Amino acid sequence: MMQEAADTAQAATEAVDPLAAFKDPAISLIEQSEQFDHAGGPVEELFFRTAGQNETAVFTDSLFLLTLWFSVFFFVLLMGLMVYWVIKYRRRPGVPAEVSPSHNGPLEILWTVVPSSSMIIMFLLGFQGYMQKTVAPADAIQLQVEGQKWDWNIRYPGGEQSAYFTSLGTKINAVKIFVLPEDTPIQLKMTSKDVIHSFWIPDYRTKMDLYPNRYTTITFKTEKLNAGEAYRDHWVFCAEYCGDLHSQMFGVLRVVSRENYDKILQDWNTGNLSPEAHGEVLFKSNCVSCHSVDGSNNIGPTWKNLYGYERPISGGTSVVADDTYILESIWNPTKKIVAGYEGQNMTNFAHLTQEEVSAIIAYMKTLSDKGGAAEDAPVEGENEESQESTGG
Amino acid sequence: MTAIDTSHDHHDEGSFLDRKGMGLWSTIWDWATTVDHKKIGIMYLFAVLTMFFIGGVAGLAIRAELLEPMRTSADGATTGVMINFGSPVQDPDTGEMIRDYTVTPNAAGNTFNRMFTLHGAVMVFMFIVPAVPASLGNFFLPIMIGAKDVAFPKLNLFSWYIYVTGSLFGVIGLILGGADTGWTFYTPYSIQTDADFWRVTLMVMAAFILGFSSILTGLNFVVTVHKLRAPGVGWFDMPLFIWAMYATSIIQVLATPVIGITLLLLVFERLFRIGIFDPSLGGDAVLYQHFFWFYSHPVVYVMILPGMGIISELLAVHGRKHIFGYRAIAFSSLGIAAVSFLVWGHHLFTAMSPLASMVFSALTFLVAIPTAIKVFNWIATLYKASIALNTPMLYALGFLFLFSIGGLTGLPLATLATDLHLHDSYFVVAHFHYVMMGGTVIAFIGGLHHWWPKMFGRMYNERVGIIAFALVFIGFNVTFFTQFFLGTQGMPRRYASYVDEFQIYHQISTYGSWVLGLGFMLHLGNFIHSLLAGPKAPPNPWGGLSLEWETESPPCAHNFHHEPLIKHGPYDFETVVPPHCSEQDFPLPKQH
Repeated sequence: MMQEAADTAQAATEAVDPLAAFKDPAISLIEQSEQFDHAGGPVEELFFRTAGQNETAVFTDSLFLLTLWFSVFFFVLLMGLMVYWVIKYRRRPGVPAEVSPSHNGPLEILWTVVPSSSMIIMFLLGFQGYMQKTVAPADAIQLQVEGQKWDWNIRYPGGEQSAYFTSLGTKINAVKIFVLPEDTPIQLKMTSKDVIHSFWIPDYRTKMDLYPNRYTTITFKTEKLNAGEAYRDHWVFCAEYCGDLHSQMFGVLRVVSRENYDKILQDWNTGNLSPEAHGEVLFKSNCVSCHSVDGSNNIGPTWKNLYGYERPISGGTSVVADDTYILESIWNPTKKIVAGYEGQNMTNFAHLTQEEVSAIIAYMKTLSDKGGAAEDAPVEGENEESQESTGG
Repeated sequence: MTAIDTSHDHHDEGSFLDRKGMGLWSTIWDWATTVDHKKIGIMYLFAVLTMFFIGGVAGLAIRAELLEPMRTSADGATTGVMINFGSPVQDPDTGEMIRDYTVTPNAAGNTFNRMFTLHGAVMVFMFIVPAVPASLGNFFLPIMIGAKDVAFPKLNLFSWYIYVTGSLFGVIGLILGGADTGWTFYTPYSIQTDADFWRVTLMVMAAFILGFSSILTGLNFVVTVHKLRAPGVGWFDMPLFIWAMYATSIIQVLATPVIGITLLLLVFERLFRIGIFDPSLGGDAVLYQHFFWFYSHPVVYVMILPGMGIISELLAVHGRKHIFGYRAIAFSSLGIAAVSFLVWGHHLFTAMSPLASMVFSALTFLVAIPTAIKVFNWIATLYKASIALNTPMLYALGFLFLFSIGGLTGLPLATLATDLHLHDSYFVVAHFHYVMMGGTVIAFIGGLHHWWPKMFGRMYNERVGIIAFALVFIGFNVTFFTQFFLGTQGMPRRYASYVDEFQIYHQISTYGSWVLGLGFMLHLGNFIHSLLAGPKAPPNPWGGLSLEWETESPPCAHNFHHEPLIKHGPYDFETVVPPHCSEQDFPLPKQH
């Protein structure tokens, strides 16, 4: 429902939009990944489907496969011996076990030294790959990643935030699309607003946890796009359990050409937008995963006909949704909780500046019958509101 | 050449299971107040198997939910559409009311999250940790070293009551709705979630209380092994099961207090906001993880070492072979116990500094070496053996297969570069199930079959046991091997829903879990049938040489009628005819 609303909102601008191709394209990520280079032989295919998307990922894959074949060799050797001896020395009535030595010094030393030395090699290669994933080159673009229940946000160097999102079929609400320039080293400087999250990009074979009150970083280089390829998408999954919608805390990294990257960032720049339009952008990058604008229910109350209306508050009171109430609900959401939404525990959005909150309020006004004149009170809307609140 | 001479039996003791004409209530009172390690071991056995059943049902429920990529509601919502959190809404096109589910907000996701928390917490704290030491260990450790009981019998009973109390806390928490924190209780989520309810606190308190049971059992075993060995039982005359139990007990005594303090601090943080683990109060979430894994990594070896001990016994007895490299296996148990305290950081590779990660990666590889040595020794034991393919032996061989996979798939997780990809993915889930379940649970079930005749004086049905083993072995591999592919392809842990491309693997895995469940139910039926109608067990059905096979099945109240005299080692199969057995059944090789 929500994405439908978002689609209609976008549809108006898409008619003459040169960037339309980058907004929620029809092609699904799965279909798209089928076009990636495949991982190689059948074993590689089984484990990875698609090849690692940058040098570090390719290094990781080959290290994994090295370990795999090492393991397969020893496993087959051991199990082969086991099965052979079990068959050869199976018990026969009246036949005793043969006498055999109960230890063998040189053999035992051999099977201590061989695994030990192999593991030194694995350790060293592993450390080498780890450094590639954690130490950023000097020319890396630094992006600020913020995790919160249950959404990602990336702030670009100029303060831009993503305003594109994809519905990915009908399944998941509003997954944000973050664009990255191709063939460029990226460093993510990450922190969390509530609980621990973990930013996993399977295609780059790396992840790092996000903590409240501290920064963690990872680094990777984006791949080069093939000729004629407009963009390439990569999943971002939250890998650290973070509560109810943990399994829907997705993101999409969209690698585009540098030229398009600059254009899209310009599109996302909110400096020259009207307050209402700025509010809509902020809505998409902060609020859309929990609030709808079309009256449908979600984790939080819908914003349709919210502004100016009387809100039933948990505990029996009610309050008119004016500017102050909305400011409070953004900065300190648990102070007054709308009846029916007690369990949801919206995290605070105290990082939004007063100017940004004002923009959001301006956008909310456009969604409400009472946006212009708060003194009118259409009875019809009131009923609808109370119905939804109790149902939620 | 038996160790005891039953012809001079002056004591007229019946089996410890003998009710001696007592009525039902007297019998219950007798068991509830018993200080006999054998009865306590059996009470533990029933308690942990009950918990295994609860945890197993939760595990099957998790797998059932994951059949479909979308979340389903507990009351069976249709598939293919996103579940609607709330009241019916009007379809904008047709005007009709759609998605009319009577689901409370987030019910489906929370059910799943509570289910995997339940599965993890029950399986770890209430099943695997106490499973082998408290049941088989309690029963056989004193007998195998020729003692009448453990060093502190009353403490032993007390630890059982602590275990039951702890489990009751967990069950009450479950009845109140269960926790949704994951069994690891990571902060700050575990501090914030469910703030108005007591169920997370109850779950944490359950784990805290269970820790005391674990410490007391460990303490009891350490003292018993040191002080109560029968005359002639030197350290290197002990069966390897005892070595494993001894190493396990040391870890239990040293590591468990740390988790006790940590969990108590967590409860204080939840109730009083003391600001140790909660970043919003100036606390540190990573500190919690260090504390937690400082216990919970060593405890992985509390889980696996007893299993390894069992495997040494099974391979030796059913293969009629001196265990290859006895000292190497005994010392590698102690080596694993020592190094296990130094590797906790490998759970935090995605949270620590590069230096700390490097050090912990290196130390983690170190712990792999004694483990590898054990596997080599076990395989070498089969050389020139006389292998009986009965249920216990099949479980021992199954252990070698599954545990090798579990161990080898630990390598890419210890390797830093690959771990950054695989951390918190299904690869990890598959890996630790291969180690914990393919290792410990498989060894436990094998050991249970091995010692069942001794514990209850009844034989089980061998054919049914073998069929059930086959189901468990196949079901286990189908369930968990597929999860390696899920992990490397990008499927994170603890997901109630997932992207379509993973569905085929999840489906195969779920079908496997049904076969696995069926196998366990068949074992259960076999055991119940054995108790009710199984043929009487001889004192030494397998031709074992360790001391438990000297006494009758089931043992008398004080284990032995006379203090046993040790005339041979536990693995001298080449020179000794087993007690109560004829040379015809267990022939000796010609000596050179």
